[in-house]
Amino acid sequence: MNATVATSVFGVFMVLTVALGLLAVRGRGSGGGLADWSVGGRSLGTFFIWLLMAGESYTSFSYLGAAGWGYNYGAPVLYVIAYLSCGYAVGYVVGPMLWSYARRHGLVSITDLVAHRFASPWLGAAVAVLATVCLLPYIQLQITGMGVVVTTVSHGVISLNWAYFIAFLVTTGFVVVSGLRGSAWVSVLKDVLVIGTLGFLAVYVPVHYFGGYGELFGRLVQHKSQWLTFPGHASGGLGQTWFITTTVLNSLTVVIFPTTVAGYLGARDAEVLRRNAIWLPCYQVLLFVPVLLGMAALFVVPGLTGAGSNLALFKLVVDSLPGWLVGLVGVAAALSSIVPMAVFMLVIGTMWGRSVLGAVPRLANRQKLWSQLVVVLAGVSALLMTYEAPNTLVRLSLISYEGMAQLVPMVLLGLLWRRLTLVGAVSGLVAGFTVACLLVFSDQDPLCGVNAGLLALGVNVLVTLTVTYLGPRSADPRPDEEVLAEEALGEGRPERVVGEAV
Amino acid sequence: MSTPLKRRRSLLWLLVPYVFFLAALPLVNRVHPVVLGIPFLFFWMLVATAVTPLAVWLAHRGDRGVRS
Repeated sequence: MNATVATSVFGVFMVLTVALGLLAVRGRGSGGGLADWSVGGRSLGTFFIWLLMAGESYTSFSYLGAAGWGYNYGAPVLYVIAYLSCGYAVGYVVGPMLWSYARRHGLVSITDLVAHRFASPWLGAAVAVLATVCLLPYIQLQITGMGVVVTTVSHGVISLNWAYFIAFLVTTGFVVVSGLRGSAWVSVLKDVLVIGTLGFLAVYVPVHYFGGYGELFGRLVQHKSQWLTFPGHASGGLGQTWFITTTVLNSLTVVIFPTTVAGYLGARDAEVLRRNAIWLPCYQVLLFVPVLLGMAALFVVPGLTGAGSNLALFKLVVDSLPGWLVGLVGVAAALSSIVPMAVFMLVIGTMWGRSVLGAVPRLANRQKLWSQLVVVLAGVSALLMTYEAPNTLVRLSLISYEGMAQLVPMVLLGLLWRRLTLVGAVSGLVAGFTVACLLVFSDQDPLCGVNAGLLALGVNVLVTLTVTYLGPRSADPRPDEEVLAEEALGEGRPERVVGEAV
Repeated sequence: MSTPLKRRRSLLWLLVPYVFFLAALPLVNRVHPVVLGIPFLFFWMLVATAVTPLAVWLAHRGDRGVRS
């Protein structure tokens, strides 16, 4: 009975999701160009951007992984909250910078931006391939995450394989047509449900199982104090140094992460992004809920191991709540897979449509069509790999974030420092990416407690600077205004002279 | 034309989250004292999460006059 109700609620909302996603572009015809589809015509206001970017950061990991880490390790999971908060602060500067640069030069993605900065279409194409390798695992993570949730809340009525397929179908169903705007509209539904259900669970679980927060925390302090400080419980080296280095690396990476950048570029003006940087950190308070529920599950459902611990949150919910409510929690978690997945696919599509296929002269005039085709292709390949070779992408996902981090010098330093040469930036990227792969795939992450990606970034910067200074100077004849971000130009020369005189 | 980053002093507020989340960590990595029933590290992380929007707001407030 409960299973039928929960499954029906889920089904209704999935239909609603596709409808909402498609409604977003009603009356706009299909004539809009690539920028209309990829970055919503750069027209989204504070409200939509907030929902969209909060929606991107609150993925299926938040429901499954955050609770699972809370259950297994405790304190180390706080890195998610720390790096997103710090990242939003950095985004106050970087967001408007990338937005105005892209707007001035009509750019639609991070690869487009790099290609323009270094006047090199092939660099754009190469970065697009690299970024796709880093992003595909995330699509698979969302597919499997949603699969697990759907199977659990439907009490197995929907099998795992069907659940994977539904995840793919619903997401592709709207994003191909309505692009970033559709994702923003679906975010509205998602955020209402996420805030609503997590708010409810934050009150319900402690009261239902423990008689209140006092008792829950009391028992945690008394019996599980190992979970309450770094390095946590049996976390295998996730101590303070790891937390600090990971937060630093991820907070720098998240601001240039291709999906974050898609959100930035969708904004109506730079002020929207600045206001957004103030309001987005508030959303992080919600992340404490799954962490706490994961730790609460230690007392209610002890003995979960491996992948089972990812379901720590749902184990608390499925048997104690009425069917329709279980369905709603499931829908909220499913949408937390769908929205990020939609943006991941959209970004891959845009990067290929513009920077890879768009760079071929014969194909250049159908960029939007190619992008839409690549969206479907990216979705299909992630789905097929989920069925056929799940471990390949899981292994790749280890390198995703630390690999993407290696783009930071090329993008941020590139936009602020004219001297940086193409050869320097590429050498740094290759060196950094190689070091990251070597350390991660030989199981040396963290290395002596330090995040391997940050070590790789150090090597990256060192190589970038060395090659730039020692290598040939750039022969790019364009003026600074064409190449650099506005933040690096300006008229601040006199003050500098005074400073140097002292 | 815009103002270069180094003349926008109020952007230093953006370092506040790093101080709260990271620099303070060795001092706050403890269970006791329990504040409002919450173990200290988690209480501190909540404080840091709440301080972040405030810091960005301060950066924004000071930045408006300088930015052009």
